[in-house]
Amino acid sequence: MHDLLLEILRQTAIHTGYTLVCVAVGFVVGVSLGIGLSRLPRLSRYLLPLLSILNTVPGIVFIGMLVIWIGMQPATVIIALSIYAMFPVLKNTVTGLNGVDEQYKEAARGCGMNQVQSLLQVELPLAMPTIIGGLRLSTVYTVSWAVLAAMIGQHGLGDFVYRGVSSNNNELILQGAIPAALLALLLGGLVDLLQRHVVPRGLRKGGGDR
Amino acid sequence: MLRFEQVNLSYGDQKILDNISFQVEDGQFAVFIGPSGCGKTTTLKMINRLIQPDSGHIYLDEKDIATVDRYELRRHIGYVIQQIGLFPNMTVAQNICVVPKLLKWPKDQCEQTVRQLLDMVGLPYEQYAHKYPSEMSGGQQQRIGILRALAASPPVVLMDEPFSALDPMTRRSLQLEMKNLQQKLNKTIIFVTHDMDEALDLADVIIFMDHGQIVQIAPPEEMLDNPATDQVRAFLGMHHSGPSPADLTVSHFMRTGIVTVNQNRGINECVSRMQHHNVDTLLVVDEYRHYQGTVSIADIRLTGHVVKTIGPLVRNTTPVVHTGDNAKECFDQLISSGFPYLVVLNDDQTVAGIVTKTSMASAMAEQLWG
Repeated sequence: MHDLLLEILRQTAIHTGYTLVCVAVGFVVGVSLGIGLSRLPRLSRYLLPLLSILNTVPGIVFIGMLVIWIGMQPATVIIALSIYAMFPVLKNTVTGLNGVDEQYKEAARGCGMNQVQSLLQVELPLAMPTIIGGLRLSTVYTVSWAVLAAMIGQHGLGDFVYRGVSSNNNELILQGAIPAALLALLLGGLVDLLQRHVVPRGLRKGGGDR
Repeated sequence: MLRFEQVNLSYGDQKILDNISFQVEDGQFAVFIGPSGCGKTTTLKMINRLIQPDSGHIYLDEKDIATVDRYELRRHIGYVIQQIGLFPNMTVAQNICVVPKLLKWPKDQCEQTVRQLLDMVGLPYEQYAHKYPSEMSGGQQQRIGILRALAASPPVVLMDEPFSALDPMTRRSLQLEMKNLQQKLNKTIIFVTHDMDEALDLADVIIFMDHGQIVQIAPPEEMLDNPATDQVRAFLGMHHSGPSPADLTVSHFMRTGIVTVNQNRGINECVSRMQHHNVDTLLVVDEYRHYQGTVSIADIRLTGHVVKTIGPLVRNTTPVVHTGDNAKECFDQLISSGFPYLVVLNDDQTVAGIVTKTSMASAMAEQLWG
């Protein structure tokens, strides 16, 4: 019993590690690309639908393809999951930035802010609720996708699930599924907490006067 | 001193500004006015290079602004917009200090400025400095919008219809406040409005524009005495001399697009039309569209089951006026008759519209506030 608990904790730690790394990478890349795309409306009109299509490729297929290319190693998992984690953040960043009311951008320009200042001081803070919404989605998704790591022998809570499925052992499946669900709840809660810290007070009451 | 020299701008084939030249002296309150699309806002936005001219030069204190870094230029020109545009993610104090911060003023100087400015418009620092824009009324927000424009004490402030989104009372008090501030601080103000009353009250000089050209530049009194064209006169007239309210006719204020129904139509069609347009009465016309009377849902309900068409149910009691009739008399008639509306007919007896108490109220409001 003690051993089992230890094993569950160990796999949960690995699982959490994958999730945090991939979400962090996905967030940084997603926000950066999102900022870029929001400045290039013509490109984003073609690129965003294309990315949505890619997004629908099942993770299992994508990881399988990466395995052929770079083999069974943690990097495969991290690359694949990071890309998936990036999609919601990217999409919400573009939506959030494009949704910033013209009056604020004009006021920022009129005050003499350059592009970077306007982005950092006005546009990103105003888009932050939407961006964090994307982060929340991608965090919860990544917890569930990280189960796939076990498929290519890279451990995580998926280990229990795959072993359980192949040996038709429901108990084993639940050993993986329950901690994964709890982890998703916990991390989602952490993002909500973060939301409260990074969203300025003036925006919180139903988006202020936006 | 601000000087435009033969400034032109076109979007495609459309001429937006046509060879604009003018000059505004230091400390003057210059108001641009004209019909929408006349180029007044475009002219304003060229001063802080939000819009670039195709040709021509703009000089601020004898320096061609095209040669000044545009971000640096904007930081030394105040800018107030109609939508206010206070940053909702910043407190009042942070909003006021946006430009000083961009100019890298030390922190205590920023703080000092906020205190001074809030004090100047009678908003106590302790109470307001740490509020967010969403926690304030529109009038208070625009006060802060003005302070944000003044914070780095720019010699020139641009104001693009700053008060037009405010209610009349607040607008009035902000206009007075603005005039006071301008005289106290001796700023050059470039102000765009479509409200002639506002222009006449505030301006040292009014610049009237139309179709991208300047029609007249004159102090308010001179413009009132000597409007350059009929158009200027009409603009002044809407608010001052010119046609007095007593000369207005019904056609100015009636509601048009009224639902009518032919007298040969069936009861059912009539009822569904009422339902569709959400009314309880329809105006009835004959095949030549001549007005015959009205039919109400109450009559239909009472006797609708014995007749097939609405013809027999038509009543002719609602008072009728004609488009050319004097507005005031019609309003008197509306009040004394006790009917909820009057039917307005064209000279050929076709329906032109109706006059309701709402149309009367808006007509009076227009006379009061323009």
